[in-house]
Amino acid sequence: MSSYELSRREFLKLSGLGATAALISGCTANLQKTVWMEPYVTPPEETLPGEDFWFASTCRMCPAGCGIVVRTSNGRARKIEGNASHPLNQGKLCARGQAGLQLLYHPDRLTQVLKRTGERGSKQWGTTSWEQIVDEIAAELANMSSERVAFLTGRLPDYQAMLVSRFMDGLGGEKPIVYDAQSVLDGYVLLQAATQAMFDDKRLPVFDIAQADVVFGFGANFLETWLSPVAYGLAYGAMRSQSGIRGTMVSFEPRMSMTAANSDRWIPVPAGYEGLVALALGKIIVDERLGHDGVADKYRALYKKADVGAIAEQSGISVEQLRKLAHLFATAHHPIAVPGGVLAGQLNGLDAIKAVTALNLIVGHTGDHGAIFLSPAPPSRDLMQFSPSSFSEMINLIERMKAGKVDVLFVLGANPVYEIPEVLGFVDGLAKVKRVISFAVIPDETTAVSDIVLPAHTYLETWGYELPNPGKQQLIVSAQQPIVRPLYDTRDPGDVLLALADKLGGQVARRLPWPNLVTFIQTRLTSLQILSGNITANDAETFWIHWLQSGGWWSQDTVWESPNPTESFLNTPLQVNEPTFDGDAEKFPLQLLPVASVAFGDGRHASLPWLQEMPDPTTTVSWDTWVEINPQTAASLDIQDSDIVKIRSPYGEIEAVAYLYPGIHPNVIAVPVGQGHTELGRWAQNRGANVWRILSPQTEPETGQLAWAATRVKVEATTKRRLLPRLESNIGVDRAREKGHLPG
Amino acid sequence: MSKYEHHWTMIVDLDKCTGCQACVIACQAENNIPVVGEDEIRKGRGMQWLRIERYWEGEYPNIRARFIPLMCQQCENAPCEPVCPVFATYHSEVDGINVQVYNRCIGTRYCANNCPYIARMFNWFDPQFPEPLNEQLNPDVTVRQRGIMEKCTFCIQRIRRARETAEAEGRSIRDGEVQPACGQACPTNAIIFGDLNDPNSQVSRLAANRRGFRLLEELGTEPAVIYLKGGESNVI
Repeated sequence: MSSYELSRREFLKLSGLGATAALISGCTANLQKTVWMEPYVTPPEETLPGEDFWFASTCRMCPAGCGIVVRTSNGRARKIEGNASHPLNQGKLCARGQAGLQLLYHPDRLTQVLKRTGERGSKQWGTTSWEQIVDEIAAELANMSSERVAFLTGRLPDYQAMLVSRFMDGLGGEKPIVYDAQSVLDGYVLLQAATQAMFDDKRLPVFDIAQADVVFGFGANFLETWLSPVAYGLAYGAMRSQSGIRGTMVSFEPRMSMTAANSDRWIPVPAGYEGLVALALGKIIVDERLGHDGVADKYRALYKKADVGAIAEQSGISVEQLRKLAHLFATAHHPIAVPGGVLAGQLNGLDAIKAVTALNLIVGHTGDHGAIFLSPAPPSRDLMQFSPSSFSEMINLIERMKAGKVDVLFVLGANPVYEIPEVLGFVDGLAKVKRVISFAVIPDETTAVSDIVLPAHTYLETWGYELPNPGKQQLIVSAQQPIVRPLYDTRDPGDVLLALADKLGGQVARRLPWPNLVTFIQTRLTSLQILSGNITANDAETFWIHWLQSGGWWSQDTVWESPNPTESFLNTPLQVNEPTFDGDAEKFPLQLLPVASVAFGDGRHASLPWLQEMPDPTTTVSWDTWVEINPQTAASLDIQDSDIVKIRSPYGEIEAVAYLYPGIHPNVIAVPVGQGHTELGRWAQNRGANVWRILSPQTEPETGQLAWAATRVKVEATTKRRLLPRLESNIGVDRAREKGHLPG
Repeated sequence: MSKYEHHWTMIVDLDKCTGCQACVIACQAENNIPVVGEDEIRKGRGMQWLRIERYWEGEYPNIRARFIPLMCQQCENAPCEPVCPVFATYHSEVDGINVQVYNRCIGTRYCANNCPYIARMFNWFDPQFPEPLNEQLNPDVTVRQRGIMEKCTFCIQRIRRARETAEAEGRSIRDGEVQPACGQACPTNAIIFGDLNDPNSQVSRLAANRRGFRLLEELGTEPAVIYLKGGESNVI
C-alpha cells in the first residue's frame, strides 16, 4: 500500500461499493443464460456472512453414486460429508469422496477452451470462446459423414451417458464406445454378462453382506474400490456387530487385499483358480446334500463336470479343507458368496463369476435378507441406467482409427492414452484422426495429444442425476446440483452437446431438444412424481426443489427381488477352464496382478495431494509405485525391500520399488495402478510407473472384455534403490541390504 | 462421574475398522492439515493427526493384517502437559481433553518427545496451499505456522459449535450431536464419540464392553480413547 492511510470508515465504504459492483456484474446478459445456476449458489438475503450453508448432491469421485452434503461458507465449498438421509451411504463417505474438494480447487485445472496451435503433443495452445468453438465443431460435423465420427467415454454419470448416446444416435453415428480402467477393474461388463446369462437381467446384483452370517468373497475387494465401497463398508460394519452372532468372512484370492485382510481367514488361491474353488465347493454341497433339505438336488446338473480332487490339486487347497469350507457355507443361516472384480482380470472370468454366484442358488438363498438380490428397476426409459460396452469395441475403434476411418473423435470421462495396453497402439491410431476433441477437468495424457480441449465443470459445479447401480432394496434417483458458482470459464459436457445439437439442427436437435441441462433433467424426473417416495409434491416445481434439498428421491417401499435362474442356465453344467496367461512361462515366470488403488481408483485421482499422501492401507506406502513380492520369491531373486526392480512383460517393461509383501501367492506379483502419469497436474506428474502399459491385450472370449490380470512377467533386480515413502518404519530396510546409507 | 463438565470419549471398534483411510482424509480436510510431500514422509514427518497402523500377524499362508487407527489419546494424566515450559498444552477443565494453544507454542518439541503414542506432529515448514487450494480450508480452524506443535483436538471446533447451539436453545448437548470428522466419515461405524459423563450415551454403553482396552494402559496415562479388541473366529 502507498502512504495513503485507510480509515475504518473508508474501508467500510469501499467494501460496500465492491459488493454492489459484484452484484451488478453478476447480472450481465451472459450469465442470464445460465440462470439455472443462480438460486442455489447465492445465499438467501437474510443470512449472515460466515454462516454455513449445506447443499445436498451426489459424489462423482467413483461411479457408486453416494449422497453428499457440502458445507459452504461465503460462497465457497469447504468440506464434503456424507448425506445422512441418503439410503446408499447413510452419511458415510470414503477417502476419495472427501478429496473431491481438491478437484474443485486444483491449481492446475483447465480454465478455458484450448485450441492447438503447434504440432500435436507440443502443448502449444491458443484460446477461443465457447460460442466460437461450438460453431466450429458444429460446422465440421455438419459436413461429415456420420460414420467418421466416434465418441469414446468412460463410465459416465447417468445423465451424461444418456445425452452422449442420444447425440450419437441423432448424428446417425455408431454407439459411443465405453472404456475406462475403473469399470474394467470392477469387472462391470463381466458381472453384467453373468447376470444376463444366469437370470436374464441386466441389473447388477446386490449382496446383503450386512445380514449375512458367513461371507465368502472371491476376489471381491468390496471395502476398497469395488462398485460401491461405502455401502458395502456400512454393510461390513453391521455384519460384524449383529447381536449375538458375529459374521464370519473368508476371502479367496491370490493377493491379500485390504478386504481380505479384514476377513477371518484369507485363503491364497493361485491366480485365476477362484472360480474353480467355487465350483468344487458347490460340487461338495450338491453331492453331500448340504444346506436346506432337498434344495441342492435341483442344481445337480450344474456340477456334472466338476472334479473336486483335480481342483484340490490345482489350487493347492486340500479336499479336506474344501469340505470344511463347504460345510461352513452350507450350514450357515445366511451364507453369501460374492464374485468380485479380481475374477474379471482372467480369461476364465465370466465362468468364474457364474460359478461363485451359483453358490448362492444352491443353498437356496436369494432375494432375502442376508442374500443376493436385485435392486428395483427404473420406472421408465427416461431414467435408463448406464450400460458399458465391451473392450472388443475399443479394439475395433483403434483399428478404424489406424485405417484412417475416423475423422473426429470425442473423448469424455476417460483417459485412453494412459490406461490402454500400449501394444494396442491407441496413440498410433490417434495420430490418424483429423480432429481429437477432449473434455477434461485437469489436463491429462489424452488432452495433451488433442486438438481441442474443452474444460469441464467439476461435479461440484453442475447438475445431474444418478441411479446407483448396484443400489439398494429401494429405487434411488440421486440428485446433483452446483454447490458453487463455476470457478472458471468451464461448461458441463452435457450442455456443450445440447448447444452442438442446437447448432446442427435436424435429427440431432430432435434427439436433444432441451435448451439446457436443467430442463433435460427435470423432464427425466416426471415419472417419479406419482410414485410413493420420500417426496410428496403436487407439481413439478415443488418436486424439483425437494429433490434437490433432500439430495434425491428414493422409494418408500423396500423390495427384496430375487433373481430367478433361467432354464438354460440350470441345464448347462458349469465349467471353469484353467486360467491361461500371456507370455512364455520359462521366460516370464511370474503372474502380474494390477491392483485398483484405494487412493486413486484407476488412477484418475492421482492428481489430488491428499490422496497422494494417503498411506495405502496394507503397505502404508504413499507417493510412489511399488511392487508386492512374496518374501520367498524375493529371496530367490535376491531382492530386498526398497530395491528398484524391472518388471518385464512380453509387451514392455516398467520400474517399481520392491515391497516384500507377506500376503501374496509366491507366483504372483502385484502392482497398484494409478501412478506413472506424464500429465495430470503437479502432484501426479512423473511419479512412479504406469502398469497398464505392459499388459497383454487378450480378451475374455465371450464378452470380449480385457483380461487385465493374464500377463506373465519377469522381475529383475537392478543396482538402484529408493526408500519408499511409507508410514511403516523404514528402520532395518537399509540394514537388510548392508550397503550403507541410502540416498533420500 | 468425572470432574469435568463433559468427559469426551472416543470408542474405536477394531473389529469394524477396515483400515480404509476415510477417517484420515476426513480429519485432514476438517483440520487444515498440510500435505508434506514424499521426502518428509520418508523421514517419518507426516502431519496426519490420525494414522492407521498396520500390523502383520503370522506368516504366509496363515497371515492376517490388523489395523489400529491412532490419534491423540487425550490422556487424563497426559505426559505431554507437564513438560511444556510455556503452558501451550494443558488440560481443559470443561471438556476433559488435552488442549494445544498454538499461539503460545514456541516449538521446544518436549511434548512430542514425551508422548508415548507419537500423536504429536511438528510443523517443520510453513504449510503450502497453492491458490486456489487455500479455498478448501476450514474457516473454523487455524492454519498452523512453521515451528508449531499440533495434534488431534477431538474436533474441538465441532464441540464448541454444538455447545453454542445447545446453549442458545437452552438445553444440554444431545448424545450423538458432536461427531468428529473421523467418526462421521467412517463407513463401518468403527469410531463412536460422546460424553462418558452421560450414563445413557452410546460411548458409556460401549465403554463397558468386555472387549475394551486402552493403549499402553500400564503407563497410567488414562487415555480417553477406548479400543474394542478385534474379533476372532476359529470356525475355519
